[in-house]
Amino acid sequence: MDKLVAQYSRPQHQNDFYSEAEQQELTEGMPPLSLKFALPPVDNRAAFLRAMTDDHANPSCPIKIAHGTTTLAFRFQGGIIVCTDSRATAGNWIASQTVKKVIPVSRLSRGEDKPSNEPTPGLLGTMAGGAADCQYWLRYLSQQCTLHEIRHKRRITVAAASKILANLTYSYKGYGLSMGTMLAGVTPQEGPALYYIDSDGTRLPGNMFCVGSGQTFAYGVLDANYKYDLTEQEALDLGRRAILAAMHRDAYSGGFINCYHVKEEGWVHHGFDDMNPIFWKTKLDRGEFSNVTSEL
Amino acid sequence: MPGFDFSNYNRNAALHAKGVPLPKATSTGTTIVGCIYDNGVVIAADTRATSGPIVADKNCEKLHYIAPKIWCAGAGTAADTEFTTALISSNVELHSLSTGRDPRVITCMTMLKQHLFRYQGHIGAYLVVAGVDPTGVGLYTVHAHGSTDKLPYVTMGSGSLAAMSVFESMWQPDLDKEGAIKLCAEAIKAGIFNDLGSGSNVDVCVIEKDKPTQMLRNYEKPNERGQKERNYRFPRGTTAWLNQKIISKDDMKKFVTIQTLSGDDNLAAGEKMEVDA
Amino acid sequence: MTSLLDHSRGETVGYSFSQSTAAPVRQHGFYPYTDNGGSTLGITGSDFAILAGDTRSTSGYNINSRMVPKVFKIGGEDETGEGAHIILSVVGFAADGNALKERLDAVVKMYKYQHGKSMSVSACAQRLSTILYGKRFFPYYVHAILAGLDEEGKGALYSYDPVGSYEREQCRAAGAAASLIMPFLDNQVNFKNQYIPGSGEGHALEQKKAEPLPQETVKQLVRDAFTSAVERHIEVGDHLQVMIITSNGIEEVFHPLKKD
Repeated sequence: MDKLVAQYSRPQHQNDFYSEAEQQELTEGMPPLSLKFALPPVDNRAAFLRAMTDDHANPSCPIKIAHGTTTLAFRFQGGIIVCTDSRATAGNWIASQTVKKVIPVSRLSRGEDKPSNEPTPGLLGTMAGGAADCQYWLRYLSQQCTLHEIRHKRRITVAAASKILANLTYSYKGYGLSMGTMLAGVTPQEGPALYYIDSDGTRLPGNMFCVGSGQTFAYGVLDANYKYDLTEQEALDLGRRAILAAMHRDAYSGGFINCYHVKEEGWVHHGFDDMNPIFWKTKLDRGEFSNVTSEL
Repeated sequence: MPGFDFSNYNRNAALHAKGVPLPKATSTGTTIVGCIYDNGVVIAADTRATSGPIVADKNCEKLHYIAPKIWCAGAGTAADTEFTTALISSNVELHSLSTGRDPRVITCMTMLKQHLFRYQGHIGAYLVVAGVDPTGVGLYTVHAHGSTDKLPYVTMGSGSLAAMSVFESMWQPDLDKEGAIKLCAEAIKAGIFNDLGSGSNVDVCVIEKDKPTQMLRNYEKPNERGQKERNYRFPRGTTAWLNQKIISKDDMKKFVTIQTLSGDDNLAAGEKMEVDA
Repeated sequence: MTSLLDHSRGETVGYSFSQSTAAPVRQHGFYPYTDNGGSTLGITGSDFAILAGDTRSTSGYNINSRMVPKVFKIGGEDETGEGAHIILSVVGFAADGNALKERLDAVVKMYKYQHGKSMSVSACAQRLSTILYGKRFFPYYVHAILAGLDEEGKGALYSYDPVGSYEREQCRAAGAAASLIMPFLDNQVNFKNQYIPGSGEGHALEQKKAEPLPQETVKQLVRDAFTSAVERHIEVGDHLQVMIITSNGIEEVFHPLKKD
């Protein structure tokens, strides 16, 4: 009898679903599509934007937008590892070697990496594609996540957060946004959760993603050495090694290796380290990259 | 076979069709001018060579020798002006040898225009031809497509409008040598300061009847580089290196003959390199 | 004629590629941008920030003006910029740059009137990013650099791409001669590729650590960077405008540069 009652009575957290009013509030809270952004006075806006800013389609375009590259994240027994390179390129020009491509989302605790090893609650987002697109929309996402937290007195799930972002990118489909983002977080409802969202409107849950022009190199290393039972140290090392491989072979990746570990209590930063000494250490101490010689 | 080699034409057209950009030729953005006076002719040029917006050479020579009393100022593609004038110079010399007479400016101009017209503007040479010959003083412009002009004062290149404005306001029919040199230098400076494609120094060449030609290299230097404020000499050992290999003189002797020069600076040919103290 | 290739386009030779001489370049009738050339540069120290720019405005091979400043005081009381504590440099399309400066200036002033305190540099930096992104689909053709002092009184410098991605940095060069100046800055400010002589053999050789430079050194580096850029870039020249922001306020000086 008790079993039957339990089966048909409402669960304790019945507010998990949005009421109609809440849904409306959520959708209307989004910025209106064409009113907020200045648009060029031409018929084919996407073509105009491409002609002015897309250096792939038109290498001599006047406005070169900074692009990000090689990011990875994977789930393992101890949570989620998120690793990135730090290079931003605008055409052939290296715009920056010190970009922070892991962006903390929610609780408005972005950017300021505290020196303490205390885990910071919240989700992590990664940046690949247009640097401004990722920075702006992940900031917008953390605003939405914070509002969610205030409204529901409960942290947002990664599924919900990723859905907000995917809905957003889908609504701007064809406008010329360029982003490939991973959202990582650990919530009581989901456990460790990882999603991939891109500017086409794709949203995929998964255990392992590599995004950016160096993704194939990173996948190669990750697929060869990944096990779910990796220890925390092994997992961090694998993440770093995969990014190093991509930095080594992909001209659009490089700079510093940025490493994060997401666990139940929140995320922990594990260094922003120059790739060069790491490369030589890997080569000399572990005998890898033996194709690189130091002989004349 | 003499002339141009077109064997890479199809390959390059294919690459270009696939979106590979053409290699950038050094172009002499340039202001060049010429002006006749009572007893001769003066030509002048700036000394900046550019590749796109980058200055490729701060002190290049744009006044080319054709014959002792015929000189040529060149604008346009640097290599084209260089080689076209050299080629015509050779032909003018041969022509003068075979006729046994001093070469004439109009002959040289005709050879240039016929050569350039044959190549339909693909040879990007824009020239000012000037000289003195038995028929008198000659001053012409030759465009890359083969058209020519004969005028008492001429300007060419990207700074031609700036330079012409000086001529149009200051030129007089009865100039003497000093006046002509001054006026040409002034016209070049108008180009140097108001046209981004022109810059650095003024070169002048004076060709006068019955007198040796004067080549006044760097006649004016209105744009000297200021002193650097810091010293950028690195202490020895600043640069990291992976490995070293020392090639001794004895090793090199296996492949080349070595002749040791005295440490005298004058022996080293060419201009000295700019080095920090 | 028998051919293995499809000759539907009626081309004369059997190439697999299109016979047109150029790649299909995207052409658009609407071209609202002009590159006005010039270059800017910013460096920070422990208690100051410097922004500098040349004052030449160009279009093509012509000089529009020899005195168009690229560095502006933001949020000052009047046209003189008295009382400002943030400076902005913009390079690229001057009209967009001016519009951007006016907008940011208005925003910083409104902030002060509404909140009764002046905007922090970090807040202003974020706001500038949002302003730039607001024109994501019709971008401002500018590279902006923002400078001021942070909450701890240290020099703060933020650099932007045309659509608002931004980052706090020690130094940044932007504009026409950025590719000439930035490598110099990497080497002389962050000491990239410089090692401490005799600190070790082979891989043990220690990298020279970057640390905040004294103000006089930075001023010299700025002037050397520009006199050198003028030598090799045709769009840079005429005058050098330097703004130094310290706890005592903003100091502005002009130096002559070559005019050719």
